[in-house]
Formats: sequence, C-alpha cells, structure tokens
Amino acid sequence: MNLPEFQSTSINTYLQLDPRTKLFLLLVITTMIMGGNISGSAVYPRLVFAGIPLILLLSGRRIKVAILYTFFFTAAWLSEVFLVYSTTGILNILLVMLSGLVSRFFPCIVMGYYVMTTTRVSEFVAAMERMHVSEKIVIPLSVMFRFFPTVAEESHSINDAMRMRQVRFGGVSANPISLLEYRFVPLLISIVKIGDELSAAALTRGLGGPEKRTNICRIGFGAWDAVFSVIVLGALVFYLFI
Amino acid sequence: MSNKLTVKDLINVGIFTAVYFVTYFACGMIGFIPVLMVVLPLLAPFVGGIPFMLYLTKVNKFGMVTITGIIVALLMFATGHGWPILVIGILAAFIADLIFKSGKYKSWKKTVIGYCVFSQWIFGAMIPMWIMRDSYFAKLRAGYGDEYADTLMSLMSGRMLLVLICLAVIGAISGAYLGRATLKKHFKRAGIA
Repeated sequence: MNLPEFQSTSINTYLQLDPRTKLFLLLVITTMIMGGNISGSAVYPRLVFAGIPLILLLSGRRIKVAILYTFFFTAAWLSEVFLVYSTTGILNILLVMLSGLVSRFFPCIVMGYYVMTTTRVSEFVAAMERMHVSEKIVIPLSVMFRFFPTVAEESHSINDAMRMRQVRFGGVSANPISLLEYRFVPLLISIVKIGDELSAAALTRGLGGPEKRTNICRIGFGAWDAVFSVIVLGALVFYLFI
Repeated sequence: MSNKLTVKDLINVGIFTAVYFVTYFACGMIGFIPVLMVVLPLLAPFVGGIPFMLYLTKVNKFGMVTITGIIVALLMFATGHGWPILVIGILAAFIADLIFKSGKYKSWKKTVIGYCVFSQWIFGAMIPMWIMRDSYFAKLRAGYGDEYADTLMSLMSGRMLLVLICLAVIGAISGAYLGRATLKKHFKRAGIA
C-alpha cells in the first residue's frame, strides 16, 4: 500500500515553506480550482493556481510527478479550450467529463501530495501548536501519522501469512466476506494491542502532562512564504474583481 | 466518571481514525475507475463498519466521534478534496456523536442510526462532482436547449445524489451489522472489545 504520508526524515527541497503557508495555498488552490469558473478572464488566474503546484513539485525535485502532471493538465486544459466546443454528442460528454475531472482534481491532488511529502510530522505538529489548535486534535493526528506505516506493515505481514494458507481470491475460500474477515480481524487485533502499548509509552513520557511540551522544529515565515502568498492573493483578487 | 477526554481516549481516537481512514482509502482505490465511484458510498461504510463498531466499544464520552470526523475531514482536505468536506464531514460527525450520546454509547439502535449519519461525510468529498456538473449543464443548456438540459439535470444531480445517500445508508446499516457480528465472533473472545 502506498499512502502519501508525512515524512519523518529531512526533506530535500529548494524552497522551504512554512507548513501554515502550505495549508493556506492548499485551501485557496483547491477552492478556486474546483469551484471556479473556467471560461472568460478566469482562465489566467486558473493557470496561476494550477502552476503553483508544478513549481513546488519542481522545487521538491519530484520531476516524474511534475512531468506527468504537466502532461495531463495541459491535455485537459487544451481540450477544455478547443475541443469541447467543436465536438458534439457522446464524444462531447466524454471529453467534458474527462477533461473536467483532470483539470479540476489533478491540481488539488498534486498540491495535497506536495504538502504531504514535504512536511515533517513534528513540523506539522509545531505549526498546529502555533495556530493554537487544541491538543485534542494534535494528539490524535500525531498518533495517526505514527500509525499509518504500522497499519501498512502489519497488513502486509498478514497478507503474506494468509497467502501462505491459500486465503486469497480464487484460493480455498473464495467468499469475499470471509476474505475480509481473515485479513481485517487479525489486523485490528494487532493494531489495538500496539495502540495500548503506544499509549502506555506516551503516558510514561509525559504526554498529557500539565507542562507545555517543547518542539525541536524551527518553523517560521520566510521570503518564499511571502512570494507565494502574494502570487496567490494576486490571482485571487484578479479572479474576483476582473 | 468524568466527561473530560483523557490522553488515552485521544490516542484511541488516533488509532481508530487511522484504521478507518486506511480502510476508506483502500476502498477508494476502486473509485479511480469513474463508474465504480457510484459503488464507493456503499462499499466504504460497509467495510468501515468493522473498525468503527470496535471503535465505538472504546467510546464513552462525547467528542471522540466528532474528533474522528474533524480529522478525517482535515485529511481529505489535505489530499485535495476541496473545502466542502470540512463542512459536511464535521457536521455529520457532530450529529452522529449527538445521536450516540443520546443512546449513552450503548443503545444498538442509536448506534446504527448514528453510523448511518456519520457515513454521510463521504458526500463532502463527492459534492465537487455536483458543482462540476452545474457548470457542465450550463454549457449543455447553451448547446441543446432548456428542456433536454433540465431532464438530464434532474436525473443526474438531484436524484443521483439521493440514490447515493440511500446507498450509503444501506452500506452503513449492513456495515454496522457486519461489525457487530465480527465483534461477537472475534473481538469479545480475544478480550479487546
């Protein structure tokens, strides 16, 4: 399973953005790209909103994703601009649906991918604390990010064990419900056990104590944060008023 | 018993939200084939019923389910599903939490109803499809005339959404029963429920 998850090691990017800036960019871009108008003068801010994830991807040296993204988005955009008005019937419906899906969802998903792959968990937690997000959200969130790799690992091992015993599609038991049972139940049991141990360990280390906890991550706004915020706000103003 | 959430509760929230979200994500893989997108509201609450029913055995205070909803919504938002998920997801979880609470987190009937409500968060992720359709229909109206566009629109947007909501309810009810059966068969015996 290949879930996008927050990184725990240091990250190799040319531009360091504050996690709060990333969230702000994500909010504006997803809102404008998904709900925004696609014709008239709205075309230009739309290209700006779609371009930002591309620049960020390149700065994060994710060249392969960047190329794929450029290819698909350009194709969808060109088809929206040229093909949609000149075709009719079922082909038209297909084109509208396909290019609409790609041009409206890809920028958002790519931006989400960028945020997830370039933010460290502790950076994220530090940003949440700076934003005065309640501990009630921060603790479960950090537990979750700690748990995603565990779930994947356990599920992989259980998968192997079950395959060895011929529990798979087309194996001894072909009933999908029992397949679900044989995979899911052991997974949940082991996860709950690990969770109990984790909460004991976290309590021992003083999580939930009355003292404010410290964080080693240094986050803060820099020049690049200003640049990207200004670009996005500029495009937003252009979109709303022109 | 105090009503304040302890650290242990919060860690439980984190664990089960992780499992629930991974389950949803695994089901969501089939949503990449656009036609099967329709099956997602049925399938995700059905499979998600197992972790969720187990989760509910650990829940006895108000707020845990709401936090789960907030986190799921935040994650969906962070993976690029747009802002409607924040509104719908959190609202659905909050109402579900109220329903669970009214049954004191014990009543089976309230559990089923609450899980049905909770499962509706999924539409926060799908609503952009309808917003997208609106601009599509605006274009269609210009090309084919009002009558045709209106017929198609009533078929696609309103009723389709209703059908999907019903599918989600069916998925949630069967998921809840599946979850309860699994609880009885395995988790109680293993001593973790």
